[in-house]
Parts: sequence; structure tokens; C-alpha cells
Amino acid sequence: MVDVDLTQPPFTLLDEAGRDRVRTGIDLAYFDEEEIILDAGQPGEYVFIIHKGEVAELDTSVPTAQARIGHYTAGDLFGAISILNGKSRYRFKAEQESLCYLMPKALFNRLCQDYPAFAEFFRQSLAHKARLLTERRAEGGVTMAGFMLARISECMRAPLIVDESTSIASAVSTLNDSHSDSLLVGRDGRFGMVTKTDLLNALVMEGLESSSQVIGIAHFDLVTATPDQYLFEALVRMTRHKVARVVVIEQGAPVGVVELTDVLSYFSSRSYVVSLQVEQAESLDELVRASARTPELVRALMAQGVRLRFAMELLAALNGRIISKAVGFLVDPARLEQSCLMVMGSEGRGEQILKTDQDNALILADGTDWPDCQAQMAQITDTLIRLGYPRCPGNIMVSNPAWVGSEAAWRARVARWAASRDGDSLMNLAILLDAHAVAGNPRLLDTLRDEMFERCSRDELLLSYFARSTLRFSTPLTLFGSLKRPQHGIDIKKGGIFPIVHGVRTLALERRIRPTSTLERLDALAAEGRLEDRFAEDLGEALSLFTELRLKQQLARLDDPDTGRDANRVVVQHLSSLERDLMREALHIVKDFKQRLSHRFHLEY
Amino acid sequence: MLRTLRRVADRRRQASGQYGWLFNPYTGNEMVALDCETTGLDPKTAELVSIAAVKVRGDRVMTSDSLDLRLQRPSSLTGDSICIHGLRGVDLDGGDSLREALVKLLDFVGNRPLIGWRIGFDLLVINRHLRPLLGFDLPNSLIDVEQRFARNLRRSHPMVEPVLNFESVADALNVPVMGRHTALGDAVTTALMYVRLSKTQLPRLAHDSIDNAREG
Repeated sequence: MVDVDLTQPPFTLLDEAGRDRVRTGIDLAYFDEEEIILDAGQPGEYVFIIHKGEVAELDTSVPTAQARIGHYTAGDLFGAISILNGKSRYRFKAEQESLCYLMPKALFNRLCQDYPAFAEFFRQSLAHKARLLTERRAEGGVTMAGFMLARISECMRAPLIVDESTSIASAVSTLNDSHSDSLLVGRDGRFGMVTKTDLLNALVMEGLESSSQVIGIAHFDLVTATPDQYLFEALVRMTRHKVARVVVIEQGAPVGVVELTDVLSYFSSRSYVVSLQVEQAESLDELVRASARTPELVRALMAQGVRLRFAMELLAALNGRIISKAVGFLVDPARLEQSCLMVMGSEGRGEQILKTDQDNALILADGTDWPDCQAQMAQITDTLIRLGYPRCPGNIMVSNPAWVGSEAAWRARVARWAASRDGDSLMNLAILLDAHAVAGNPRLLDTLRDEMFERCSRDELLLSYFARSTLRFSTPLTLFGSLKRPQHGIDIKKGGIFPIVHGVRTLALERRIRPTSTLERLDALAAEGRLEDRFAEDLGEALSLFTELRLKQQLARLDDPDTGRDANRVVVQHLSSLERDLMREALHIVKDFKQRLSHRFHLEY
Repeated sequence: MLRTLRRVADRRRQASGQYGWLFNPYTGNEMVALDCETTGLDPKTAELVSIAAVKVRGDRVMTSDSLDLRLQRPSSLTGDSICIHGLRGVDLDGGDSLREALVKLLDFVGNRPLIGWRIGFDLLVINRHLRPLLGFDLPNSLIDVEQRFARNLRRSHPMVEPVLNFESVADALNVPVMGRHTALGDAVTTALMYVRLSKTQLPRLAHDSIDNAREG
């Protein structure tokens, strides 16, 4: 009679017979408070599964203050690594009276032999384990998850291809015969898109003859995708490029077309509806209504087990459209051409899933004369507040003249910040580095970015100052469980998210990497060889994990604003044992990353 | 007193028999926690439904080395007791005969000391069946966890009126109750209580668990 919970990984990797062997093969042991369960250097004889109580993992080679490296509670498993390595690296001590199941070494080794997936679990990286978590979440999801994980190849229709000599008249009849909305015209191996709207415009607005060649009105700058991408990514692309169809290309040739209406038939959920509402909004009020629905969308996406990376991309694209549309209502398009509105901070990195604050700024082209600029900018800030983006506590908004300026003014600011290197300047630089253009002329931002790279990326001293703040908050490994009141939890924003984001930002500045999203920066750093692929992947997973944990709490707060809890704080005891395991590993990765940074930028002193 | 006399007599009678070794004093470091489910609460009439035993070595409860026996359906199996232990007539199909079960139990237990919750009752029932079949009572030394707990509590908290029911004691000792009213579950829980009691001579009871003990 053993009440052991075998429904969590790694035991889910065994079959029923294997789990029975675990059930019949384990013993129970009782440990007093402060009792050492397994000492450093001791050979591992058992795998311990905690039934009740709490166990601390201590590194005996360092001073006691930093010794604690892990914390285990009910449902957690430890000692397996000690068996695999022959002896324990760390000391395991009971923090409370603890009751543990003991799986003898012989049984563990036999299970590892008989179930390779089980053995693999103990050697896996965080990324693999995180995938397990996503899969588990997706299992519980509704059929919608099927859509989210569907590939483009499952939803595309065969392309309608005509040759370049086709006339408009025959193109129209081809479209009618095949009941589709668009066709592709081929010329010299290149393909152009012609939609029904294009045909209509050509005939009515431009007055072309129905016998003229259809190639004259084709668009050759196609928005493309590959068949094995997620359908979801096609949707992201449509939202971003404001088009209703994506051409699927395989080995240089079009193999299909994904129409927005087809995606719709797969996907009757809110995501599309929200982005459609945003696109169709004719007035600010309609836009406000659409914008207010984004939390619903986030919640639906999370419930369906969509990987956080895709959810972030979709939301970033959507937020970008909302802001750009709002600015379009308020500002004269001609003025907009001579300026660039950029979002910064988390919004600029595309990592703001829920609207937590607005950081934005404006660059004016040199020589622009715009007298009531400041008044209009104040209006933009107020409008964004109406749209649900709370005021930035640091006043980093276009309503603040310090964040509006001509190109020359911005260059001077960057130079001043780079030269003074004090706390505020470094923070401003960091914020500006994440800037992403949402409205107006994006070339202005590109030029400014080049200027920043030019000024900063070779300045070792500045980089060192810049990197230093990654070490400002300690990694909360040491806080696990030893808090006076564990319900305070640990701050994952300071302890996990910030060091990764800022560290990656610093490296991106050093290597002049243009993308602003942390995950894209990591990809670029890995491609350059600045970070190993595996480490970059693990960092990305760690960031996704922290963001997801935080998002869950933010959503919980939206439901019940009176909980009064800080959404950045995660109470370890509320997590499942797999989540705790992941969190532990993620924090170790953060610690490792900080060590690398302090080595690279000489932050030891 | 009577038990001692009986044991002496049994020992003499069994000295050259198959089970003579059971009467030797035990020298190892193992003990066995024992629990039975029966058809009633009167030791004179209750019949055995299932017997479970688990070895305890030092501070380890060897759940991997345990015995869980179901017996053939006794004639007195009725609705009342089924409600408690949840073993219906059909669940006992294919169970051991009384003799087989008791022989397996003797082989498993040997001459190790026995631990139990109100073990006197279990022992009375077992012996009532054992004596006609093999001609002796279980000679093992006994530890009753209930008495052990009451004694420890009296020493550490003389003023507290102990409430001695299984669940509240388990709670006071911070031991999880595993599968209550299954023989093996109760045996494991009892073993854990014993381990817990012998680890700290006097249980440091938190105030809330004392309150629980009072209310419980």
C-alpha cells in the first residue's frame, strides 16, 4: 500500500507495468528536521521522492550564505543524478520533518535500462522538459489546440497559376470557374499576385480594357511562407503586412495559397475577430472596443497551449496595429511621413502580452516644421491610455518633450548618454535600444540605431557599465522556501526576466544586432556563434517560462483585481512539481548566464 | 501473566517442532508492523478478512518488503464490516485458506517483534485461529503504538487529555494516513507512527495538533 503519486513526469514516461514496479519496489523513510539525507561525496543509493516535507539542496563548498542551491517539496524527486554520477555533488538536508519514498539504486538502474525515455529525462535540457509541460497543457486544451498546432500545408489550397499572356477577361472567368479570390501570374520563374480587388480597380478605376494583359496589374512583392510553418505564423504575417492571403513557397515555386477566409473556417475564435475588429475600426471608439478584447484573446491562446513565442508575436503585431491605427486617426499622414513614432521597452521587444505600460517616443526628420507637435503628442498619450495602455510611471511618453526630438536632437541625446554613463543615461539607452517603429517612417529609427551602434558597440567601458546592472538583483535560488513567509514568493521579474533581457540586450548592442525581441536576438547571437545554440535555446526557454508564469498571475489579477498580489511574485509552493523543477533549472541557467556576462564584461570588481 | 505462562508451555511443546525457532529471542534490527481487517469488533467471534505486515528496519519502512494477504470468504462476512474495509465477498475469491495465510504470516514475521495499533485485538483474533491449527500462540514481543503514544504524551504534556484515535494520532505525529482501512495501509501508517515516535523520544507537539487531538 503505497500512496505515491506517479502521474507527474518522469513517471509518466513509464508504462503501467513500470509504474507497478515502482510502487512495489519503494520504501518509506522518515527524516527529522535538520537531518542530512544525502551528504556531498556520498554515493547515491536511492532516488528520493518526497511525500511530505521540504528538503534543501546545499553546496558545501561555498560559504553558508550562498550555499543553498535548490529546494524540493512534496512530489519532487532528487538523488537520481547522484546515482547516475556515482556520488552526490551536493548535500541534501531536511528543512522540515520529511517523509520520503526511497527507490533503490538497482531498481532505478533497471528502469533506466528498460525505459530509455525515462533515462533520457534525467539527462535532458530545460528546453526538452519545457516541451513536456506544453504538451501536457495542450492535452487538456480544447480542439482549438489542433488549429493552433496545425501546419500551413493542412490549410492551403492549390494555387491558381496562369501564364503571362492571360488577359483580364480570361483571368476573371478562371477565377469564377474555380471559386477563388486570387490567382498567380508567372513570368521568368517569378510570380505575381492578382486579386479580385485588383481586377476591379484595373477595370473601373484605371479604365483598362478587358483584353489587356493581367500581368500589368500583378503584385510581385509577395508575402510568403513555407508549408511546414504553423498556420498561426501565417496569421501573424497577415496581421503584420495587412494582407488577406499568404503564398506558400517550397523550393522557390509556389505550391499553395492560404486565404484568410480559409484560416477563418479553421479558426472561429477571437484572435481573428479581434484583429479584424482592429482593421475595420473606423473610429477611435471602435478601436477602444477592439483593444479591450485582447486579454480575452491572450487567455484563449494560453488555454490552448500555444507556445508563448507565437502568442507574443501575434500580440506584438496586434498591439503595433492598434497603436499605428490610433496614430493614423490623430495625425495628418503627411506629418507622419516626416516622423517616426516608436514603442520601446517591453512593447518594443514585442514581449508585452498584456498592456502593462506605454513607453514611446517620436523622432522628427531634420528640418520638419510642426508647430503643434507637442499638443498632438499629448493627445496621442491620452488616446493610448483610453486604449488600455497605462501611463508610464517613468514618464517615458511622447507627451514628455524629452522623448520627442529631431534627428539631430536624438543624436545629441545618445552622445550625451553614452558619455555620461550614469544610471539614468544607461537606463535611457537600454530603453531606446529596444525601440521599434510602429507608425511613420521607420528609416528614421534605423538611422538612429546605426548611430547608437556606432557610438556604443566598440566602447568597452560603456558596455561594461551597461552590463553591470544585470547583476543588480541576485538570482533568487537562495530564497526558495527559506523566506520568513513563503507566501511572499520570489520576484521572477527581477530574478529571472530582467537579467536575461538585459544581458541579451547588451550582447546584441555589442554585436550590432538589429532585431529587438529577446528571442530573435538570441537566435541572431547563436547564428553569429556568440552563444552556443543549446545555451541560447535554454535561455529562450527560461525566459518563456518566467514570462508564462508571470502572465498566468497577471491574468488571475485581471479576473480578481482585489487579490492585491504583485504579479511578478511567484509562490513556489503553488506550482506543480514539474513547474518547480523547470523553474529551478531556469534559475540555474540565469545564474550561469550572469557568470558568463561578468566574465565577458569584467564585472567581478 | 497468562500469556507468559502459555508461551512457556507452547515453547516446551514446540521445542522440537517445525516452529521451534519462533520462540528464540530475536537479535536482528528489524521489526514487523501488523494489521488485520476482520468481520467484527468482538475478538471472540471476529473472523479474519485480510492480514498485512510490513518490515521496519531502523528508520526505514520497507514497503517493498511487505505481505498483503486476503483470506477466503469467512461465513460471518456481513454488510457492516464490508462498509469499513471495503472487501466484498467477490473481492475475496481466490483468497488464501486460513491455514495457508497463517503459515505465510509466520514465515514472513519470524521471531521479529511486532508493532501494531491496538495490537492486542489483532493478536487475539489471530491466536484464536492459530491455536487450533498449529497448536500455539504468536510468541513475538509486542509494541502497541497507541500505548507508546499515550505514554510519550503523558510525559511531555501531562495536562493534555489524549484523544487516542488512529487519525488524530497520525495527525499529531504529522504522519500521512495511507489507505485507511486497508490492512496494508494501516500497517504502513502504524509503522510510520512507530518510526516517528522512536526518532524523537518525546514528541514535540505543535499547539494546533494538541488542539486537534482534543477535538478529534
